[in-house]
Amino acid sequence: MTALIHREIAAGTVSGRPRRVRLNWPVIRALLAKDIGAARRSKAVVIPMLVVPFVLLVGLPTGIGIFARTGTSPDLSGLFSHLPSSMARELQALPQRQQLIELVLGYLVAPLFLIVPMMISSALAADTFAGEKERRTLESLLHLPVEEHDLYVSKVLFAFLPTVAASWVGFTLFAISANVVAWPIMGHVFVPTWRWIGLIGFMAPAVAALGLGVMVRVSARARTTQEANQLGGAVIMPLILASVGQTSGLLMMKPYWIFIAGAIVWAVALVLVRGGMKRFTRDRVASRL
Amino acid sequence: MTSSPDPTGEIAIRCDGLSRSFEHGVAVDRLTFDVPAGSVLALLGNNGAGKTTTIRLLNGVLQPDGGSCSVLGVDPAVDGTAVRRMTGVVTENAGLDDRLTARENLASAARLRGMPSKQARRSIDDLLERFDMASHADQQCQGFSTGQRRRIALARALVHDPEVLFLDEPTSGLDPAGARAVMELIEHSARERGRTVVLCTHFLSEAGTSADLMAVMHHGRLLTFGRPEDLAAQRWPGLEVHLDLGRPPSLRVAQSLIDHRAVTALMPVPDGAVLNVRGREDIPSVVALAIECGASVYGTEARPKGLEDVYFAVQDELRDVTPSAPKARESAATSATSAEAAA
Repeated sequence: MTALIHREIAAGTVSGRPRRVRLNWPVIRALLAKDIGAARRSKAVVIPMLVVPFVLLVGLPTGIGIFARTGTSPDLSGLFSHLPSSMARELQALPQRQQLIELVLGYLVAPLFLIVPMMISSALAADTFAGEKERRTLESLLHLPVEEHDLYVSKVLFAFLPTVAASWVGFTLFAISANVVAWPIMGHVFVPTWRWIGLIGFMAPAVAALGLGVMVRVSARARTTQEANQLGGAVIMPLILASVGQTSGLLMMKPYWIFIAGAIVWAVALVLVRGGMKRFTRDRVASRL
Repeated sequence: MTSSPDPTGEIAIRCDGLSRSFEHGVAVDRLTFDVPAGSVLALLGNNGAGKTTTIRLLNGVLQPDGGSCSVLGVDPAVDGTAVRRMTGVVTENAGLDDRLTARENLASAARLRGMPSKQARRSIDDLLERFDMASHADQQCQGFSTGQRRRIALARALVHDPEVLFLDEPTSGLDPAGARAVMELIEHSARERGRTVVLCTHFLSEAGTSADLMAVMHHGRLLTFGRPEDLAAQRWPGLEVHLDLGRPPSLRVAQSLIDHRAVTALMPVPDGAVLNVRGREDIPSVVALAIECGASVYGTEARPKGLEDVYFAVQDELRDVTPSAPKARESAATSATSAEAAA
C-alpha cells in the first residue's frame, strides 16, 4: 500500500486538463498527528486497539497453552480422523504431549490474527471517515488548504498503520507467550514458522486493507460511526467468517499459497481503496454534509 | 464599520452568475456581485437561502454548475487550495475536535497551513490572549461553552492572518452577551487588518453595525445587494426623526411642522411626532419651529433606516410578489426577530 501511495497518482482534472499530483507528506503527517492525538483520548478507539488484540492474541492462546500443559494429554486420534490428512500426519508425527499445543497454538488460533486486523481497521476507518461527520469536524477540514488526496491518504494511513502495528505487536507477544508457556513440553521455539510469518507479514495487512476498503465505501454513505459500523458489519462479518474457515487451512498448505491468497486479498483491497480515493472529492463530501 | 471599504478600488470577491444545484433543487441561482477589498458583507436570508452554499463555492469546497467566482483574483474552482490559503472560515458549528485542547486545535490548523512552528506558537498565544482563552488553552474543548467554542473557532480562522474571512452564523447558539462579544471580536479582527469579511447571520442588529454591504438571498437568488444606507435611501428618501414633545403635538404644532419645507411626512405618536425630513441639516430648523409654535422639545433622535429595515422591506416585497411568500416572510421575520429577541 505504501508503495502505491508513494507513486504519483493521477487525480481529478483542472479546467478539463488531467493533472498529476504528488502527495504532500508534511501535510499528511500533520493530519495523522492530529488524528492520532485525538484518537489516543477516545475510549471508543483505544479499547478495540489495545484490549481486543491483547485478549484474543495473548490472553486466549496463553490460557489454552497453560491448560494444555497442565492437563492430562488428551487422546486426539478421534479428532485427527476429521482433519485433513496432511495436517493429521504432521501432528501424529509429534509426541502425544505436544500434539494439543501444536494443534491449538500452531493452527487453530490463526484465524484470530486475521479477525483482529479486520476489526481494528474497520473500527478506525469508521471513526476517521464517518466519525468526522458525526463530530461535525469534516467541514472545517474541507475548508483547509489541504488537497483531497492528502486528506484521503492520511485517513487511510490512520486506519491502516495502527492496525498493522497492533497485529505485529500482538503476534510478537503471542509468539513469546506461546513459546514460554509451551517450552516445558515443546522444548524448542515452535512459533513463528515461515507460514506464520507469511500470514502475519503479508496476509494480515491485506485483510486490514480489505476491512478498511469496505469501511471507506460504507462510511461515505453513513452519517455516524455507529451507522458505518452497522452497515460495514453486514459486509465485514461474512469476511470474518470466511477467514475463520480458511485461515487454519492456509497454514497447512505450502507457504506460497499464503502469498497467492494474500495477493488476491491485496488486489481486492487496493481496488476498493483506490476507488474510494476517486470518490473522495470535496464536492461529493460537502454535498452530503 | 469605521474602515472605509475599497480604499484601493480592488475587488476581493467577485461572483458572476454563480450557480449550484443539488438533487433537491437549486441552492445558488445566478449570483452576481462584487465585494471591494476591506469590506464587510452581510449575507442575509432565511434558512435554505443558499448562504452556506455560497461560502462553500467561494472557498472552493463545492464546484459551481454555472457561472464563476474569484477570491482575491483566484478562481476557487480552478485552484481551491490557493484560495483556502488566503481565507479563514468559521463554520456554523464550530468544527473543533472535542478530544483536542484549544491550543492543539489551533496548532493543527496552523501546521496544516504550513506555518513555521515558532510563528504559529506566537500567533496562537496572541490569539488565545486576545480572545480571553489563555487560561483554557490546555483544556480539551469537550467541556467548553458554546461561546468559548466560537472564540476558539474564530481564533483558528485567524491563526494564519487571512486576507478574507468567511463567517457562517458565528453567533448561532450564543447567549446575548456571548453573541455581542463574538461580534465585537469579529468587527475588531476585520477592522484591524482591513480584512474582507463575508458574514452570514440572523442577528440583523449586529450585522447592521458591522456591515458595509448587504446581500439578501432567497432560495438561492440574490434579492438585493448594496450599501445598506444606499438601499435604504432608494426606498425611503429623507431621514426619519423622532421629536420628543412629552405628548402628542397640538394641531397648530402639527400643521406648522407639516408646512415646513423640509418635512415630507409627519406621524403623531403618544410622546411627540415622527417626522420625515430631507436631511440631517434640517433638524435644527424643525426643532426651532416647534419651539416657536409653543411646543416643549425634550429631545430629538435621528433614525436613519439601515440594514434591518432594508431586510424586512425586501422580505415584504417578496411576500407581495410570491403567492407562497407570506409564510416564508413570516418565518423569516420570526427567525430574525426571535434571534434578535434572544440577543
